[in-house]
Amino acid sequence: MSQTRTIMIECLRYDPEQDQAPHYRTYEVPFTDEMSVLEGLQYIKDHLDGSLTFRWSCRMAICGSCGCMVNHQPILSCQSFLRDYYPARIRVEPLEHFPIVKDLVIDQSDFLGKLESVTPYLVPAQPLTPEDGPNLQTPRQIEDYLGYAQCINCLLCYAACPQYGLNNAFTGPAALALLARYNADSRDAGQKTRMEVVNAEEGVWGCTLVGLCSEVCPKHVDPARAINRNKINSTQDYFLRFLAPFGRGS
Amino acid sequence: MTPAPKTYVRPMNRWWMRHPAYRRYLLREGTSVMVAAYALFLLAGMVCLVLGETAFNLWRGFLQSPVSVIFHLAALAAFAFHAWTWFKVMPLTTPPLRFRGRPVPDRMIFRAALWAWGIASLVLLVLAMRFL
Amino acid sequence: MRTRSHEPIVWSLFGAGGVFAALLGTMLVLIIGILVPMGLGFGPDAMHYDSLRSLFGHPLPALGLAVVISLFLFHGAHRIYHTLHDLGIPASKRMMLACYGSAAAGSGVALLLAGMLVVF
Ligand code: SF4
Ligand code: FES
Repeated sequence: MSQTRTIMIECLRYDPEQDQAPHYRTYEVPFTDEMSVLEGLQYIKDHLDGSLTFRWSCRMAICGSCGCMVNHQPILSCQSFLRDYYPARIRVEPLEHFPIVKDLVIDQSDFLGKLESVTPYLVPAQPLTPEDGPNLQTPRQIEDYLGYAQCINCLLCYAACPQYGLNNAFTGPAALALLARYNADSRDAGQKTRMEVVNAEEGVWGCTLVGLCSEVCPKHVDPARAINRNKINSTQDYFLRFLAPFGRGS
Repeated sequence: MTPAPKTYVRPMNRWWMRHPAYRRYLLREGTSVMVAAYALFLLAGMVCLVLGETAFNLWRGFLQSPVSVIFHLAALAAFAFHAWTWFKVMPLTTPPLRFRGRPVPDRMIFRAALWAWGIASLVLLVLAMRFL
Repeated sequence: MRTRSHEPIVWSLFGAGGVFAALLGTMLVLIIGILVPMGLGFGPDAMHYDSLRSLFGHPLPALGLAVVISLFLFHGAHRIYHTLHDLGIPASKRMMLACYGSAAAGSGVALLLAGMLVVF
């Protein structure tokens, strides 16, 4: 049994039925070495203030629902440990750049719309039926998109992106990374539809390569790379259409 | 449909205070002011060169002044930081490169870029010593 | 239907300027502002009117200088335009015109001067 210490957790509180604006409340939380920030929040909810609201599910960095800001750094609260912050106090806030619904809970509907806009599923060249058999890929073909496919939609990257905060029209890191993920898949033939999203002002051109999205991503998806490579593709697409206005391929 | 809940959107004012990465980003973008300023300084030199010897000697004489040295030291820092950060993010923009079937790691691209920086600088120096 | 951004035009110029600034900028500044005035590796006659006139009388160096100036200007204009937006000055048509317009004007002047240096 590791020893119990006490850390101060300063938490943003917002109750849409009572408050005009958020405020902060500090809690004294006893913790042991193996306790995550999420478990600290659960301690508050169970023992100190049952009204504290936050999301979680898997407690193992895979469902993507427990994201929040700790000391202005977007993190998964189930994957960050209180011992790493102690003896300093920590400030826990909901993910930056999203509307706050209550306390640490944000409204992700804007992201869901963006996710939908990038056609995040395979678009086969011809309609396939089960009789066509499995759609095989070589290891090399899998490697082409596997990194981008690790996204758990935790939205840490959006919380890290000031361009999204400054202009919510920007499609944003995770959605554009998933766009690149399906474009890079050998079974997919939907590049043309997605190119429209890439080429738009709200597409890759909303990015100025701040780069923090890739640093905070718990799954190493590297959205900054996905977006900036598509800037090259978009530029080619922009100029090449003058050379070959007819019958442009994918 | 239930009405949308009342939500709170935090303002973005002074957002760069929230994370050191944001300040590094603004510093990187800030180097561009120096790049543009240096272009204008060179342009002024060109104007003077066209105007004639007296005008050009004014521009040339300015190079000798302490103000010019300070300006150039600041420009040197800006260009060097620009180059470093430019090469650092270069692997994000280059299309996927492969060597002998394996993806080229970012650090190799960065290192190659530093070499290119050194070689280009050396060539420029040699040309300048030969022709100026 | 989303509208296509025209950003590729300015982004290409910004990128080209960034590459030039990264590869040549430091040495350029070092030579002009430090080595030549202090006479380190260069004689007191370095960068004199006559030698520069004859050097930039050739089309290649003259054009090269103009291109470098122009690309530096576009590089600066692009980043300044976006950074102003970051700092809270909203991106607008007018701001765009001011930034890229002055870069274009500066480029025009540089090309004109290069032509004059070669011809006269
Ligand atoms: S890209 Fe990374 S940070 Fe962004 S939502 Fe996906 S897993 Fe989270
Ligand atoms: S609780 Fe599922 S990712 Fe943290």
